[in-house]
Amino acid sequence: MIKKIITFRPSFTVRILAGLISFIAIIAACMVAGVADLTQALSTRDANFRARLIEEGARVYMDQCARCHGVEGKGIEGQGPSLSSSNFFNNRVKEVGWNSTLETYIAAVTKSGIPLKSSPMWEVTHPPFLERFGGPLREDQIDNVVRFVMNWKQSPIDSMDVIEAPKPGEAFAPLPTPVPLTPAQEEGRNLFLSNGCNACHAIRGVANGAIGPSLNRIYEDAMMWIASEEYKASQGQATTPEEYIRESIVNPQAFIVPECPQGACPAGVMPPNYADTIPPADLDKIIDYLATLGRPAGE
Amino acid sequence: MSVIGKRLVDQVKSTGWKSTIAQRLDDGFTRFTAGLSWNDVRGVLRGDPAPKPNPRVKPHTEAFWFHIRPTFYHEAVTTLYPTFRLGLLSAVFFTIEIITGIFLMIFYTPSPERAYTNMIDILTNVPFGSFMRDMHRLGAEAMVIVVTLHMVRTFTTGSYKKPRQFTWFTGVVLLVVTLFLSFSGYLLPWDQLSFWAVTIGTSMADAAPVFGPTVNLLLRGAPDIGAGGLLRFYLMHVVLFPLIGIIFVAVHYYKVVRWGISLPPEMEPIGEDNARKVPPDKRVNFLPDIATNEIMYAGIAFAVLAISCVTWYSAPLETHANPLATPNHTVAPWYFYWLQGLLKIPHIIPILPGSIATALDQFFANVLGLTPKVFWGVIVGPLVFVLLFAVPYIDPNPSRRYGDRKIMLAFGGVFAALILYLSLAGIPTGVPVTGFGYVGGTPPSEVAQEFMPDEGEGALMTIPFDQMIVGEHAVRPDANVPDAPKLSRVLAEVYHSMERRKAAPDPLGQILNPEATATVKITQIQPDLKQISININFTDVNGIAQQFTKYKFIHKESGRAH
Repeated sequence: MIKKIITFRPSFTVRILAGLISFIAIIAACMVAGVADLTQALSTRDANFRARLIEEGARVYMDQCARCHGVEGKGIEGQGPSLSSSNFFNNRVKEVGWNSTLETYIAAVTKSGIPLKSSPMWEVTHPPFLERFGGPLREDQIDNVVRFVMNWKQSPIDSMDVIEAPKPGEAFAPLPTPVPLTPAQEEGRNLFLSNGCNACHAIRGVANGAIGPSLNRIYEDAMMWIASEEYKASQGQATTPEEYIRESIVNPQAFIVPECPQGACPAGVMPPNYADTIPPADLDKIIDYLATLGRPAGE
Repeated sequence: MSVIGKRLVDQVKSTGWKSTIAQRLDDGFTRFTAGLSWNDVRGVLRGDPAPKPNPRVKPHTEAFWFHIRPTFYHEAVTTLYPTFRLGLLSAVFFTIEIITGIFLMIFYTPSPERAYTNMIDILTNVPFGSFMRDMHRLGAEAMVIVVTLHMVRTFTTGSYKKPRQFTWFTGVVLLVVTLFLSFSGYLLPWDQLSFWAVTIGTSMADAAPVFGPTVNLLLRGAPDIGAGGLLRFYLMHVVLFPLIGIIFVAVHYYKVVRWGISLPPEMEPIGEDNARKVPPDKRVNFLPDIATNEIMYAGIAFAVLAISCVTWYSAPLETHANPLATPNHTVAPWYFYWLQGLLKIPHIIPILPGSIATALDQFFANVLGLTPKVFWGVIVGPLVFVLLFAVPYIDPNPSRRYGDRKIMLAFGGVFAALILYLSLAGIPTGVPVTGFGYVGGTPPSEVAQEFMPDEGEGALMTIPFDQMIVGEHAVRPDANVPDAPKLSRVLAEVYHSMERRKAAPDPLGQILNPEATATVKITQIQPDLKQISININFTDVNGIAQQFTKYKFIHKESGRAH
């Protein structure tokens, strides 16, 4: 048997026949590929790739955009307007006087940002996200984010809690007027920066961290959480916002906020050892400073 | 009237119009085929025996394409053994690569901003684009295999011996060119697979002492792979290596004309080479026998490749290259697995007991600045090719007979076995029996990777969109979500995968604690977009409860479901 195989020498007829059959098979394969491409295959693959680029865009959106525009694109008060309402899809281009499509408008704003208060319409700055302009994203990632946002157009979200962008001449509901800081609080702000808190947390005008929650209204948030059922069920023991802030720093695992833009908030992200690394006096000043953020006037 | 015109008139007068036209056409045809008239060619195509004197020899001396092919072979080398047509098939695949490569070049720009978009365009907007890319990719993989087998065959039959030492040398050059062609093409789609495979490959060069960083910088054009690196790899892929390849193929082919194909070892007197001393009754002429034979094998190879590409094979295209995110289980191309395996050898002299081997490593590191990685990956790795180049010059045995070459054949067998073993160790899950080379993550991340890999597809991602029932589903052996048979099946699969990892520790000794549980959560993001996440609750080695979460977005039209 093996000898038969290794001494195999096709006869002339076999060669011509096998060659012809191969030739026909090659032509047939090319025709199958060509006919498939010219009828359905190209458009199917096109739809698949469009869909996958939307998936990629969703991931980038959740990582980078949901923090200000919300997971469902409903907008977050004081942070960013809705990107999924019919108002956004129907009126935005006209409102801002953009002379092209909504896609290019979203791409342009995402890439280059909107400088702070360049127009009376905007209270909040939109940072540039393109690598070339100092942001974190590549061009193709931003193109995918645009695809993801435009994917809301087929069924816009128009519920009551949508945060619309202000009309020209208006502004977002401003944050509470910053209280003038005492020298100790001023020092607390500097300690906030020098201890690297700004690497993860954002405070408008002070820090731009994107990993932890934003602290713009931490006093208000703290009061809300202390009163909540979730907090009472946790190991948290704070009764005042100051205590809540302190607990979050020295024992961050005591209570984890349940909802984050990407789903359930992960535990264990905040380092647990600040009680050892920050001197108590400094810690007091940082807490003193943070408790001014979002504190209603007069409290 | 001119002389030429007069001759024409004379010919018409003597033989008539029809005969003159036929005669003139045949003259032109004979000039085109460099010596074969129309009747000769018909004889060739019919398989007629050669007339005497044989006109079919003439193209071999007169014409370009036939002068790099011998006039005749010995009958004994025209059977399947001893060549298995592997050299011919290498050339066939090289040709297919050039044709399909030129097609792909039309639609490709070597720039990080455009390359990936171009790939999607080729797949979604260019008729035959996907077909050509599949052929190019599968042909390249086949070429690596065929060229390697060709070398194995040449080694086994001892065909590298005098007078074919230099043919062997050019052959090893062609093997290296094939590997580099394939490797340089890897980067061009600019997806995650290509980016990280090439990052690993060039990092190996970087580890070389003295010149390594310079070579790496020259290859990448910058400390990291970027626009410069892509352009360099593109130019290597479409200009440098094809050029070297074509030149060496020409030399290689010329050597076959000069020395013929070596006879089966047992047919030759020891130490002699009779491939060109063929008695007339043993000659098989190139035209028509060898030519039709080769066309047949080339046709079959081409047909198998084309049919594979329209039936089961489709070249992978992962997500856009992201220098900031390394996917789990990133690997070099499979033909460099053995090199990855070498890099995983823990000590310079690994067979010694652990403490002595460690002490020796210390000694080498202090005295020579030599780490195991540098020694095995960068010094021993390239030495393999030096060894291959040197084979004909270090083998003193004049005999080509198998019985006389037991040592060399055993050496070759051990070498092949070592390469296969190292290749096994080179894949992330390592050698199954010994565990050597295992570099997996923690058990929870491996469960997630199995069902939801960073790149490519896992079972959780191939659930049909309408079976992705929104909600949180516990992973259970008897999971039964209404209207979602595939989801239920995958939930059970995840359960069994977890149980497997609970029962048997992975080669790093990590184990999933027996109480570990998992859920699969599905949320609706947009009407046609869902998020699917796997959450594994386990207790880590320090006894602290942890949750491992991984998620993906799945679009209705993404075409993953099956």
